[in-house]
Amino acid sequence: MKTIIYTATLLISMLVNSQTAYEKGMTKAFALWGEQKTDESINLFERIAKAEKENWLPYYYAAQVHIITSFRIKGIDAVEPKLKKAQEYLNEAKTLSKNNAEILVLEAMLNTSYVAHDPAVYGPTLSAKVEELYQKAKAIEPKNPRATLYHAEWQMGGAKYWGKDPKAFCPEIEKAILYFENDKHDTPFYPKWGKDRISQVQATCKE
Amino acid sequence: MKRLLTIIFLSLSISIYAQNTISGTVTDPSGNPIPGANVYLDGTYDGGSTDDKGNFSFTSEEDGVQTLLISFLSFETYTLQADISKMKTLKITLKEDVNSLGSVILNAGTFSAGDNSKASVLSPLDIVTTAGAAGDYIGALQTLPGTSNVAEDGRLFVRGGDASETNVFIDGQRVFQPFTATTNNIPTRGRFSSFLFKGTNFSTGGYSAEYGDALSSVLLLNTIDEPDQEKTELQFINVGIGGGNTQKWEKNSLSVNAFYVNLEPYQDIIDQRVQWLKPYESIAGETVYRHQFNNGLLKVYGGLNYANFDLIQEDINIPEGINFSLKNRNLYLNTSYKGTLGNDWSITTGASFANDDNDIKVINNNVDNETNSVHLKMKLKKRFSNRFKLNFGAEQFFNAFTEKVNSPDFNTFRSSYDNNSTAVFTEANVFFSKKLAMQIGVRGVRNTLLETTRVSPRASLAYKTSGHSQISFAYGDFYQTPQQDVIKFDQTLEPEKSSHFILNYLYQKNKRTFRAEGYYKTYDELVKFDTEQPEFNSIYNNNGSGYARGVDIFWRDNRSIKNLEYWLSYSFLDTERDFRNYPTKATPNFAAKHNLSLVTKYWVNSLKSQISATYNFASGRPYNDPNQAVFQNRKTRHFNSLDVSWAYLISQQKILYLSVSNILDVNNVFNYQYSNTPDINGNFSRRAIRPNADQFIILGFFWTISENKKDNQLNNL
Repeated sequence: MKTIIYTATLLISMLVNSQTAYEKGMTKAFALWGEQKTDESINLFERIAKAEKENWLPYYYAAQVHIITSFRIKGIDAVEPKLKKAQEYLNEAKTLSKNNAEILVLEAMLNTSYVAHDPAVYGPTLSAKVEELYQKAKAIEPKNPRATLYHAEWQMGGAKYWGKDPKAFCPEIEKAILYFENDKHDTPFYPKWGKDRISQVQATCKE
Repeated sequence: MKRLLTIIFLSLSISIYAQNTISGTVTDPSGNPIPGANVYLDGTYDGGSTDDKGNFSFTSEEDGVQTLLISFLSFETYTLQADISKMKTLKITLKEDVNSLGSVILNAGTFSAGDNSKASVLSPLDIVTTAGAAGDYIGALQTLPGTSNVAEDGRLFVRGGDASETNVFIDGQRVFQPFTATTNNIPTRGRFSSFLFKGTNFSTGGYSAEYGDALSSVLLLNTIDEPDQEKTELQFINVGIGGGNTQKWEKNSLSVNAFYVNLEPYQDIIDQRVQWLKPYESIAGETVYRHQFNNGLLKVYGGLNYANFDLIQEDINIPEGINFSLKNRNLYLNTSYKGTLGNDWSITTGASFANDDNDIKVINNNVDNETNSVHLKMKLKKRFSNRFKLNFGAEQFFNAFTEKVNSPDFNTFRSSYDNNSTAVFTEANVFFSKKLAMQIGVRGVRNTLLETTRVSPRASLAYKTSGHSQISFAYGDFYQTPQQDVIKFDQTLEPEKSSHFILNYLYQKNKRTFRAEGYYKTYDELVKFDTEQPEFNSIYNNNGSGYARGVDIFWRDNRSIKNLEYWLSYSFLDTERDFRNYPTKATPNFAAKHNLSLVTKYWVNSLKSQISATYNFASGRPYNDPNQAVFQNRKTRHFNSLDVSWAYLISQQKILYLSVSNILDVNNVFNYQYSNTPDINGNFSRRAIRPNADQFIILGFFWTISENKKDNQLNNL
């Protein structure tokens, strides 16, 4: 009996050990991102993803770093390989977690990046796709704060372009604020970003 | 106590491991360091990134044989399996990923319009927003170099070849009657609505061994894999109305659309040179169903088309004109499946079927004909590595034709044949490096009607000369069964043959594309006959031959002027052939020496409008004047046409569209018809063959209804 307890303790201690390795790795990858060492951060997320095998989060973040940084890079030629890689990561994440609203939101942002870099080429072909992805995300998780906020921002951009009132989407931002307050997950490192974007998006409503 | 010690000892043994340091340098094939590469042990957290000098170093508590992986954007992932203790001061060279951007492309002879393909010179949008194309995808392709302007026909005439030398494929399956039924001097259009397609490959020569039975060119159209969204689209045009609907489910999607055209109200207002007894009227319906399997995609396409008209055409030999009426019914079904089989094998297979029925009346003659055609195909592909891929496949064609002609001059005349053929093909794709690639293939065809077997080799080679430019070369032999108008009378003929030699230069940088292609093409075994038109008692042989040589130039610039996109095409063509009833080698009427197209599209943001203008020029076309001693030695005046269109976006989903062809109202002449007998002075009088109307005006309203309010039909105009 005692032997069993010992063994169990031992196994748990090993498990805790590996859990910490994941946590340590993820924490370090976020830290690297914070230090603007984006390549290293992506590399570490990718390594964690490859080692974990069944966790979609490291792939999700590897893609996110590429996507977020892509908005700051100039020239579609420089951005394209990064966005293609990001799409590969998202595809991996999708196979590990089906019907995941968070992944769809990120995919919408990826396509938005294409549109932002070359509106003439990608605007007509990808706009409908971006819209579709946000709608799908909201259908899966109606109260997802990121889907609500970023979809509103995207729609406001469209309304401005077409000479319509972007303020029509302001109530959506109020909803998003509410959803952010209830945005709680037990899974460690579950996406919770986006709150700091509210004020920027809201600026239009206060004009 | 003893137990406690054991636990402490065991825990320690887990925490204290032998530390191994893994280190080395990563470079590209030219020896330059690669910074930022991801270096790690497979299945562990242990790894690091390379620094600015390409160096990496990290420690690991693993031991024994481990797998070291090194990955970086645009390079192939490197794998090393070795004992961890040996992984020190490694010198690693990463191979460039030949599938990445910036790799050489095998493009000699081909224009592609695809989604994100680097080889694309046109976007799918361009295909349909070109002024003068009037929503016909063929119209846009006629602005590319290598095509000749034959405005009275509407089909594709490529590099000295006539329209029958181009074949059309949808999702790899043959389309037997890609154009709407028409008659002389009434331009035809593609049967298929442009919004069903996501990508187009237009090859003006030297194409893959997968395709055959075309002497000059193939046009490969691919239908959309998955529609973006559910939507309803409505079109109201001055010559017809149409509508479509797309529905999506989990793994299925269905698109249905229909279009009705009636030219009567239009022709009542605008003068025509022919006398329409019953103006052109057609109704077309199409449907596409797609199903996503776990490992593949099934697409089923069905189209039904019915058209009729009745007219009197001028003729110099018949003062009262020629009465011609036609009723055509066409059914086309196309099923294709594309999937993976595992182990880097993939399969593409499909079947297409067409039934084409014509009821024609020419003066007092009745012609009823019917063609049933089937194409079955299967292709397998094995990817041995990124650098070596092998394709092979087989296909079977069945073609049954029957015709009954009733004439007051002779009684009923019947003709029929079964034109069946079997083909096999194989092709290898080899990337020697990111800079040098080759495709080599061979095709064999057995035709049971003509009882002939033909083997044709195909090859192409491409070399990247700098970061933005490349040269490529292509060669191929091509065979084609003689056309229906001939083999219904003589089935002992041989297939016609052509050979292509193509040299291509491509430069692409910053949204500017320059492409120059020189070619030489020979024709052999062309069908000849001894009467004006092929008839049942004509004498046929395969003694015809010819050549075509020329240079095609394409320049596209989307960058220099804001909101303006334009492309310029120029083709120089020198061709002569002895075919059909030609007494000697001569340049045919459809082959103008110089062709030029300038296509512009300007987006005016303040007006929410896209204004497009297309200018087409073709030098005078050869024609035969029986008053002259030499055959086919006269030329018509030059062809000029400026087409303008304006698309105004009333709101995001409502578009108003106006297009006017030949806005300067130039009088163009395509050819001359001479009388069969000379007048009293010994002169043959003539009649100019001109368009039925010098201008064509389209006014339309396009409305898209979808939950997602982003989409519109601008890409279908």
